[in-house]
Amino acid sequence: MALWDRVWQTGKSMVVGHAITMREMLHKPVTVRYPEEKPPFERGSRSVPVLKVNEESGRLNCVSCGLCERACPPSCIEITQAMDEKGRKKPWPETFQLDLSHCMVCNLCVEACPFDALEMADVVELGSYQVQDLILQKGQLAEIWKTSRALRVAGGERL
Amino acid sequence: MEAQGGAPAVVERDGRRLMKINMGPQHPSTHGVLRLIVTLDGEVVVGVEPDIGFLHRNFEKIVEGWSYPGIVPFSDRNDYLGAITNEVAVCLAIERLAQIEVPPRAVYLRVLFCELQRILSHILFYGTFGLDLGAFSPFMYAFREREWGYTLMEKATGARMLYAYNRIGGLRNDLPDEWFADLEKFLVFMERQAWPEYMGLLIENEIFRERTIGVGKLTPEQAIAWGASGPVLRSTGVAWDLRKAAPYLGYERFEFDVPVGKNGDTYDSAMVRMLEIKESIRIIRQVLKMLPDGPVLARVRPNLRPRAGEYYSRVESPRGEVGVYLVSDGSARPYRLKWRAPSFCHLQLVPAMGGGGKVADLIAAVGSLDVIMGEVDR
Repeated sequence: MALWDRVWQTGKSMVVGHAITMREMLHKPVTVRYPEEKPPFERGSRSVPVLKVNEESGRLNCVSCGLCERACPPSCIEITQAMDEKGRKKPWPETFQLDLSHCMVCNLCVEACPFDALEMADVVELGSYQVQDLILQKGQLAEIWKTSRALRVAGGERL
Repeated sequence: MEAQGGAPAVVERDGRRLMKINMGPQHPSTHGVLRLIVTLDGEVVVGVEPDIGFLHRNFEKIVEGWSYPGIVPFSDRNDYLGAITNEVAVCLAIERLAQIEVPPRAVYLRVLFCELQRILSHILFYGTFGLDLGAFSPFMYAFREREWGYTLMEKATGARMLYAYNRIGGLRNDLPDEWFADLEKFLVFMERQAWPEYMGLLIENEIFRERTIGVGKLTPEQAIAWGASGPVLRSTGVAWDLRKAAPYLGYERFEFDVPVGKNGDTYDSAMVRMLEIKESIRIIRQVLKMLPDGPVLARVRPNLRPRAGEYYSRVESPRGEVGVYLVSDGSARPYRLKWRAPSFCHLQLVPAMGGGGKVADLIAAVGSLDVIMGEVDR
């Protein structure tokens, strides 16, 4: 009897398995041919923090206060304040460096910024063959911001 | 040909020629970078020695130099298939020490995300376990739902795997109403179509049953002695679930069962996880009914300094008990943070489960433990 039971079980498994896979053949494919066609990003999905440019003045919103630098857990942001020739501080960054190889995309810098100067971009294809190329300067970050959609939202609500 | 530290690949023992062979660290069925040093007598496994440390990230020491808010996103990287549960474990410990009251809506949403994460993790377990045993198509079916689930996560949290969604005192952002409708669609699909398909394709399949029933057996005593938790412990028949035994996040408010196995073999281990998917769907439905309105994030000082003291918070992750032992000396950085990882304990079970069987059964045993090397090595 046990043999018949096993034969029955095996036959049933084959029929059920084939029925499921055959049914799937009638459906449209769920996969996307990635490099040729790119699936859209969800609203609020984020990759790396980039610098926002003020639409009116064309300058960065960043005033170089250093709050994001302090909020960043792996310390991948480095800012130096701009100075005039008399040594007075100016409210924009002289340099703004972001080390992509350390950034863990946690959004803490964006939340720390009181001046709306940082935003998470939706650009993911930032890979490079050299580690040095992953250190982005302020000009490059502003350039990425211009090409990415405005995405300082998650779950449909402004933070 | 040398296996380890200059030891000969062929050793003589009791007149038999035994082979020492490396399985891993890059073996596709070892789930990450796990190296097993296997001693073989023909095809029979005589001894197994797990060798770990290939994914060491120095989590516990690094966070001693970080302020509290930064620990939460970093903890995602430990168990990267149960990222939300890691965040919740850390947040519970810090919130307890800093005496922060979390808004009720955030507590309910945390439960929702923990359970959604459990479903997604078990779906991946189903796919990879089938793959380990040579069944390829269940893997593709599993990824169909997994992609859907991760898109839901992306809509809510902004990321697909490492969410950085929990904050100390609640959650980063609230969810839009249409997200809940999407979630309901996902749950209905999981329940009506995907779950029966999973059962038909793999779990009830005769080949799968032959490969798993009676393989990698554990007794309840063994499992408890080695510190197993989660589905591995429950598959031996011990109904130990932290959500019932030591409720956190108000799990006592929800009605759900704890599925247990009987024999403690790899089949029961897979079955327990499949049933847990159903229980998680049940809990999510209850959360959706009970979800209160209100804020999701409490006001927390940016420069957080919890009072001096220590606290051990533990949550039931998809793999078992994730524990965070946090010692604070009253400063802005933790004095010590110890991470209790379930996979680390489960990996010690490999010699007990795989010894004496065939090589293919060893693969089944490792696969059924569902170890995540990111969590083992930390």
